[in-house]
Amino acid sequence: MRAWFVAASGDLSVMTEQALQQSSYRSSFVMGQQAALLVILIALGALFTAKSPGFLSSFNLFTLGRSLAIDIVIGFSQMVVLATGGMNLSVGSIGVCVAMAGGYFMQVVGLPIPLACALALALGGALGWLNGLAIAKSGINSFVVTLASANLFSGAMLIATKATPLNALPRSVGAFGQMRVGGGWVSPMLLVTLLIGAALAIFYRFSVVGRQSLATGANLRAAEMSGVPVGRRIIAAHVLSGVLAGIAGLLTVARVGAAMPAVGGQDWLLPSFLGPVVGGASLAGGFISVGGAILGAALVTTIRSGLLVMGIGNFWLDLFLGLFLLAAVLAQHYRGNVPWRRRSREG
Amino acid sequence: MHFLNRAVRTTALATLSFAMLSGAALASDNKIILMPGGPHPYFAPWERAAADAKKDFGIADVEYKVPTDWKLELQTELMESLASQGAKGFGIFPGDPVGVNSTITEMKGAGIPVAALGGCTVDPTDAVFCFATDPYKTTYTMTKALIAAMGGKGNLVHLTGLLIDTNTTLREQAVQKAVDETNGAVKLLQTVADTDAEEAGDQKINALLAAQKNQIDGIIGTAHITSEVAAKALRAIGDKRIKYIAFDDSPAVLDAVKDGFAVATFVQNPYGQAYIGAFALDLLASGKCTMKADAPWIKTPQTAHFIDSGVLEVTPDKLGTYKDDLKKLTTDIQSKFKATYMDCK
Repeated sequence: MRAWFVAASGDLSVMTEQALQQSSYRSSFVMGQQAALLVILIALGALFTAKSPGFLSSFNLFTLGRSLAIDIVIGFSQMVVLATGGMNLSVGSIGVCVAMAGGYFMQVVGLPIPLACALALALGGALGWLNGLAIAKSGINSFVVTLASANLFSGAMLIATKATPLNALPRSVGAFGQMRVGGGWVSPMLLVTLLIGAALAIFYRFSVVGRQSLATGANLRAAEMSGVPVGRRIIAAHVLSGVLAGIAGLLTVARVGAAMPAVGGQDWLLPSFLGPVVGGASLAGGFISVGGAILGAALVTTIRSGLLVMGIGNFWLDLFLGLFLLAAVLAQHYRGNVPWRRRSREG
Repeated sequence: MHFLNRAVRTTALATLSFAMLSGAALASDNKIILMPGGPHPYFAPWERAAADAKKDFGIADVEYKVPTDWKLELQTELMESLASQGAKGFGIFPGDPVGVNSTITEMKGAGIPVAALGGCTVDPTDAVFCFATDPYKTTYTMTKALIAAMGGKGNLVHLTGLLIDTNTTLREQAVQKAVDETNGAVKLLQTVADTDAEEAGDQKINALLAAQKNQIDGIIGTAHITSEVAAKALRAIGDKRIKYIAFDDSPAVLDAVKDGFAVATFVQNPYGQAYIGAFALDLLASGKCTMKADAPWIKTPQTAHFIDSGVLEVTPDKLGTYKDDLKKLTTDIQSKFKATYMDCK
C-alpha cells in the first residue's frame, strides 16, 4: 500500500523534522481517505445495484470501465503537475491536439498505428514542454500560463484541422475500443490505464526525478537550495502531463473510432482535478496518491453511471461532483493542517 | 347445472378472447427512446410525439430523454445506461455525426436499432436510416428565395449554427452554390457561425448589424435560435429594407413574417421526425420488419440512407394554416412509410 502513495522526501537533509511529521500525518490521512473512498464505492455500488439491476450488467460494467480508463489517465495528467505545486489547465486542449494528430498520421499520412501514436504522443510532450518552459523561465504562475496555452492549442488545432473530424481510421482502432478481455466486461483500455498507474507509482517512489519533483512541490525554495534542479523538474512534469493527456486523447479516439475536434477541451478540466484531489493529492504540491487518483476517478465514474442507471436527472451530476471536490479539498485542509498545528502549539 | 356450466365456459372464453384482443392492441412490449444531442427548443415537440406514438401505435413505452449538455460523451453514456435498463430502440439526433457511430455499432451488436432523427450520422454508419430535413437542399431553396426577394442582386449575410456541426458545413456550401449561380450579381458578404445560442447569437448579430447594416441587402438564418435572434434584432432597429429569411417557427419569427421584417420562414417537422421515427423503430425492434435495401433512399453528402421529413415555406398568407399543413405532411409520410421503406413479415 505504501507504494501507492508517495510523500515528498527528496533530500532528507533539507526536510526538517516538522516537514517529516507533516508528511507522516498526510500519509496516514490519505490512507484513511482511500479506505473511506473504497467503502463509499462499495456502498454506492450496492445502492445502485439495489435500485437498478442493470447497473451490474456486463454491458454497463464494460462501458463504466471504459469511461473510467479515460478519466483515470486524465486525472494522472493533472496529478503529475500537482505534484510540483502547479496545475495544468490545458490538459483537454493537449488531449484533443494529440487525438487529431494521431488521426492525421493514421488516416492522411497512412503511418502504422504504433508509429502514428508515438508521433502524436511526442506532440503532446512537446506541447507540455512549451508549458513547462514558459512557467520555469518566466516564473509566471502555471494557472495563467496554462490557461493561455489551452486557448492557444485549441485555436491552432481548429485552424489546422478546419474542425473536420477524421473518421476513416484503420478499423483496428475502433475495434480496440470495443474489445472485451476474454469476452467479459473488462476493457483492455482499463488494463492499459492500470499499467500506467503502476509505472507512475514506481516513478514517484523509486526514481530520483520523481522524488525531486515531489520535493519541488513540497517546498520550492528548500528544494532549490538543496540542489534540486527545480526548473527542469517543472518542465519534466509538464512534459509528462502532456504525454498523459495525449494518451487520454488516443484512448478517446479508440473509444469513438474517430479523431474528433469536439472531444477534450474544457470538458476535461473538472475530471482532471476530481480524481487526484478526491484521492488525496495536495493542491499545494509535494504529495500525490496514484491509488487515490484511481479510486477518486472510480468514485466519480460510478456516481455518474449510477445516476444515469437510476434515471435520476443527470442535471444533478454536476452538483454532486462539485460537492465532492469541495468536500475533498476541505477535508484535506482540515485534516492535513489542524492536527499538525495543534501538535506544533503543544511543541 | 349443465346450462350454467356452459354459460360460465362461454363467459370465460369471451373474457379470455377479449383479453387476448386487448393485448394484441398493445402492439409491442418495446421501450423506445427519443434522444436529442442536448437541450434545445427545436426538440420540444419530441416529447409530445413520444406520448402520441406510444398511444397511437400501442408501443409499451416511448420516452424522451435529454442529455444535460451538447456533449457527445453525455449522449453516449445515456444511451449505454438506457440500453442496460432495457431500451430496445433509439431515435437520436447525433451529438456528433461521426463520433456517435461507434456507440450505434455497439447497439446494433446488442440487437438494438438506432435511427438518426433530425440530423444524420455520417457514413459508414450502422444507423438504420436518417429521417431529417435535407440541410443542403433546404438551405439552397431558402437562399434562392432570398435572392429572388432581393431582386437578384446585392450583398447577403449567412447566419448559422455550430462551426463543428456538419449540417453547418452543408448549409454554407448550399448558400455559396446559390450565390455562385448569380454570376456575381449577389455577393456573400459574410458567414457568421456559432450564433445558435441566445447570448452568443445576440452579441454577434447585433454587432454585425451595427457595423454593416447599410451594406447588407439580405440575411439568411439557417439555425433555430439564430433565426429568432435575428428577427428580434431587425425589429429592434426597425429595418424592413433588409430582406430576411428564417428557419424557425418561434413567435418572434412568425411575428416578423407577419409584420414584414421577414420575407418568409422555413419550418421543419420535428414532431413528425420523432413520431414516425418511434413508429419505425418499434417495428424494427420487434423483429417484424427490416429496412428495404432498394427503398427510394436519398443520397446526401452525409449518408446514403436519407429520408426527407419535409419542410414548409411559411409566407404571410400561410401563417394561419401552416400547423395544419405540417400535420397533414406527417400523416401522409407515416401512412406510406412502412410500405415504402420497410420489408415486413
